[in-house]
Amino acid sequence: MTSVARLLRVRWSRRVRAAVHWWRASLQVRVLTTTLTIGLVVLALVFAYVGQRTAQGLFDERVQQVLSESARSTSQAQDMFDAATARTGAEVQNLLTDVTTAQRTGGSGERDVFLLRAPGQPVSVPAVTAVTTGDPTLVDLITPELRAATAEGGQRWQSVGLPTADGGLTPAVVVGQDVTVPVVGGYQMYFLYPLAAEQDRLDFLLRTLAFAAGALVLLLGTTTYLVTRQTVLPVRRAAQVAERLAAGELTERMPEHGEDEMATLAHSFNEMAASLQDQIRQLEDLSALQRRFVSDVSHELRTPLTTVRMAGEVIHAAREDFEPAVKRSAELLSTQLDRFEDLLGDLLEISRFDAGAAVLDAEGRDVADVVLRAVDNAAPLAERRGTWVSVELPEGRAVADVDPRRVERIVRNLVVNAIEHAEGSPVEVRVAADARAVAVVVRDHGIGMTPDEAGHVFDRFWRADPARARTTGGTGLGLAISMEDARLHGGWLEAWGRPGQGASFRLTLPRRAGIILMSSPLPLVPVDPDDEGAVQRPIARAGIDPAALPDLSGDDDLPDDEKDAGTHASARASSDEPQEVS
Amino acid sequence: MAAMKGRVLVVDDDTALAEMIGIVLRSEGFEPVFCEDGDSALGVFRASAPDLVLLDLMLPGKDGYEVCRLIRAESGVPVVMLTAKSDTVDVVLGLEAGADDYISKPFKPKELVARVRARLRRSDEPTPEHLAIGDLTIDVPGHRVVRDGEPISLTPLEFDLLVALARKPWQVFTRELLLEKVWGYRHAADTRLVNVHVQRLRSKVEHDPERPEIVVTVRGVGYKAGAAVT
Repeated sequence: MTSVARLLRVRWSRRVRAAVHWWRASLQVRVLTTTLTIGLVVLALVFAYVGQRTAQGLFDERVQQVLSESARSTSQAQDMFDAATARTGAEVQNLLTDVTTAQRTGGSGERDVFLLRAPGQPVSVPAVTAVTTGDPTLVDLITPELRAATAEGGQRWQSVGLPTADGGLTPAVVVGQDVTVPVVGGYQMYFLYPLAAEQDRLDFLLRTLAFAAGALVLLLGTTTYLVTRQTVLPVRRAAQVAERLAAGELTERMPEHGEDEMATLAHSFNEMAASLQDQIRQLEDLSALQRRFVSDVSHELRTPLTTVRMAGEVIHAAREDFEPAVKRSAELLSTQLDRFEDLLGDLLEISRFDAGAAVLDAEGRDVADVVLRAVDNAAPLAERRGTWVSVELPEGRAVADVDPRRVERIVRNLVVNAIEHAEGSPVEVRVAADARAVAVVVRDHGIGMTPDEAGHVFDRFWRADPARARTTGGTGLGLAISMEDARLHGGWLEAWGRPGQGASFRLTLPRRAGIILMSSPLPLVPVDPDDEGAVQRPIARAGIDPAALPDLSGDDDLPDDEKDAGTHASARASSDEPQEVS
Repeated sequence: MAAMKGRVLVVDDDTALAEMIGIVLRSEGFEPVFCEDGDSALGVFRASAPDLVLLDLMLPGKDGYEVCRLIRAESGVPVVMLTAKSDTVDVVLGLEAGADDYISKPFKPKELVARVRARLRRSDEPTPEHLAIGDLTIDVPGHRVVRDGEPISLTPLEFDLLVALARKPWQVFTRELLLEKVWGYRHAADTRLVNVHVQRLRSKVEHDPERPEIVVTVRGVGYKAGAAVT
């Protein structure tokens, strides 16, 4: 077994696989191959049958003719022998030659005549055993069996193959009968009839037949091809249209001609497309309605809230003049109004995401700056909690196409969350970048969480321990909003945690819009020496839908005034800290 | 009661909020005037001649944008929108209708007062000051901008913006810096305020707003004053 053989086998199997694939992939190929195979088999059978029957018929007819001819000739020869007066050996010799030569031309077409000494007869006086008109070697064609049969009397014949000049064989028939020659006695007279003419006729017929069959196959093939094409083409077109529809080109339709099945298909298809388009339009309307509703609710809720808020502030400002209980009430009113406002803002923000109304207002920014600002904002809280927050930045710039407001909000949420759960232990914030992505990891060493809890932290209003008091009064929507913000960037937000080992949150953002994240520049799972046993386990990962990525290719430069004045829409969150003015 | 610091027209259909705003403004020494619908807003505006307008965007009758346009058509009085819709389109539409600034509901009394003060703050430098920017001359105390002897009418905010740029023609102003200097924001705020007003200013002072020579964009940074023509 050599490598060549193996190579051949491999190549062969590859070719077979390609053929199988071709066969499976195209209905047209399959129908065409099947039709042609069946057509060819049927034609071959017809061809064989007709050829065989014709050959037999031609042969039988010729044999009948040959037999009657040779019988007549033999009796003529016998008559000549009977009438002959030859006495001497030489005369007999001449007689034999004359008769043989005379008989040669007596039949229809060419024939050779052989006069052979009958087997079992004593050697005659003129030692003539054979007289032939043709090639003496052809005598060998007369088989002993024929000679023996002829010796039994009557007319006998045998089909033989006559060697031709080019070394082939032509069918021929040998017919023999006893004759009695004066003086010398029993001879056998044989006639050799070549059937070349019949063979030619047969060949011609078969050639004609083959040509007709070829034409028929061609016709069959062409017809099948055209018919399947007529069927397959609309199907292919339907498939293409369906693909385009699926790609979102809802106005795509199939052309409808005529009233045949294909037209019915096209019609039904178009009806389906129209109904799809209708439903999508309805959904879009619904979505617009929802957005409208959110906007209206926002207005309706915010106006009374503003009044309450201002009243609360006025009362709060005057609290020193109140009795202790009223004073405390004024303080509670004020803080809870803050909380209510945050909650309303977060609710509106999340409903904007749900309505698909959130828009990414991206610009090239150094993510490290954004992170620093977010950490600065969280500094007062860290101070109150006695938590040390360290920030590790990359050496170079970590510029990415981001919406700074959203990224800052994500990082602020993560850092505040970490400080809240750190229980006084240090919080580490790391920023790193590679060619495709920027990552921010926020790690705390606090109470940690179970993998199961890590899977839920991004759920809305989810709490690790419902019994635990909410201390900083988060809305319960912060991480859910952060997840939506990350998703809007085409990024990932993941959580990891172990009870007693703290937690780690990783934000990974593509550096350019449209980059599909494959990996992150930073590990989510900490590789601290004390938790070597920890298993890499990304818990929740925002699904990346490339189609959902906004196309920012036109916004390569930092946005300048003309560009972002009107068209750049950003959902400005009400939960942003109110601007304090001097 | 202390001397009135200014008259503020509050256009809001929510009477509770309007009253509350009135209480807060009054406690800070402003004199509030109220109007409850868009149709009568212009009449009240003319009758009361306020120093500043607080304008709700959603009003019965004419909406806030329309009212803002009408006021802008006859006066440069500062207009501050009260917007419950934080959707960016509404804000930009309001700014384009001529509003100088906006406050998102819900807001705190401090914020409201700060915004009102910032807009009423007079940049009244006691010394006579004449500035040149491009082919314009600015008479700062006289609040006049003149090109070839022809005065150009600017709102106070646009005037402040132009003066801020013209005073330091060598400096490139970031949007954040302009927000601080002109609008009085101490922390980063909505930079669209700057973008919209720069465009409005350009439409008034530039020969060709498409190719500005007075207020020049410095790509990726901000704006600076065009060179003075001597």
